[in-house]
Amino acid sequence: MRFMLIRKADACTEAEDLASFELVEAMTKYNDELVKAGAMLDGAGLKPSAQGARVQFTDGTPTVIDGPFADTKELIAGYTLIQARSLGEALEWVKRWPTLDGDGNVTIEVRPLYEDADFEPGGSQVRAS
Amino acid sequence: MTSGRRTHTMRVMVIVKADAASEAGAMPTEQLLTEMGNFNEELVKAGVMLDGEGLKPSSEGKRVQFSGERRTVVDGPFAETKELVAGYWIWRVGSMDEAVEWAKKCPNPMGAGGELEIRPIQEMEDFGEEFTAEARAQEERLRAELAERRGGQE
Repeated sequence: MRFMLIRKADACTEAEDLASFELVEAMTKYNDELVKAGAMLDGAGLKPSAQGARVQFTDGTPTVIDGPFADTKELIAGYTLIQARSLGEALEWVKRWPTLDGDGNVTIEVRPLYEDADFEPGGSQVRAS
Repeated sequence: MTSGRRTHTMRVMVIVKADAASEAGAMPTEQLLTEMGNFNEELVKAGVMLDGEGLKPSSEGKRVQFSGERRTVVDGPFAETKELVAGYWIWRVGSMDEAVEWAKKCPNPMGAGGELEIRPIQEMEDFGEEFTAEARAQEERLRAELAERRGGQE
């Protein structure tokens, strides 16, 4: 199974306080462990939402809204895609997230991805009418 | 900004925001699947598409909250439906404006409507001296190893 680990934003990531040397080192070491275990698929950090935009579709008409966006703690600061045998195994990886990140105060959301098998007959998905 | 491999390009994460239907695990209609398939094909042909996936409803996910030594696991589903992620693309584009133009061409992501959030990705070049030559070399090695495992798709 594949999982997306979503590093939720906070005031620091939204302010683009660049990571300290120690944090960069800790994250690189963590990523290295994921790669060596064959678990790592991809990962990246996002720039603050101030540099982003939203496109809202209403009745087929797109409206562009420039960042920054409110609800800081609901925003995304970065993501890591991993392969794991179960949600439990993914959670074990998450629990080893470097404690230097966010000075030990972060929230990581773990979300399973849809796989091809979910769309096959008898798969987990129902089709909307 | 510049990229090590190509000049004047950047990567963005395009986040498909969730709604009640995606959180209920409802599949898109056949019409939307077809339209999305065509849109994805355009993205691939233009060399914009790097990756894209759908996420299962947050009821199948969890959050881990870190506070000092404590690790608290919170089961989904999570509130604030419209702030959640239902899917994403990673695109390579020349500018934010180009990304916005592509996003506007997307079929209504949730059928009747929907919302996309476009967020530029931090590249190694964005880091200053915190990213030492050693860390940079390690990052490059990790990326190369990943690319190799994916069968050199990138």
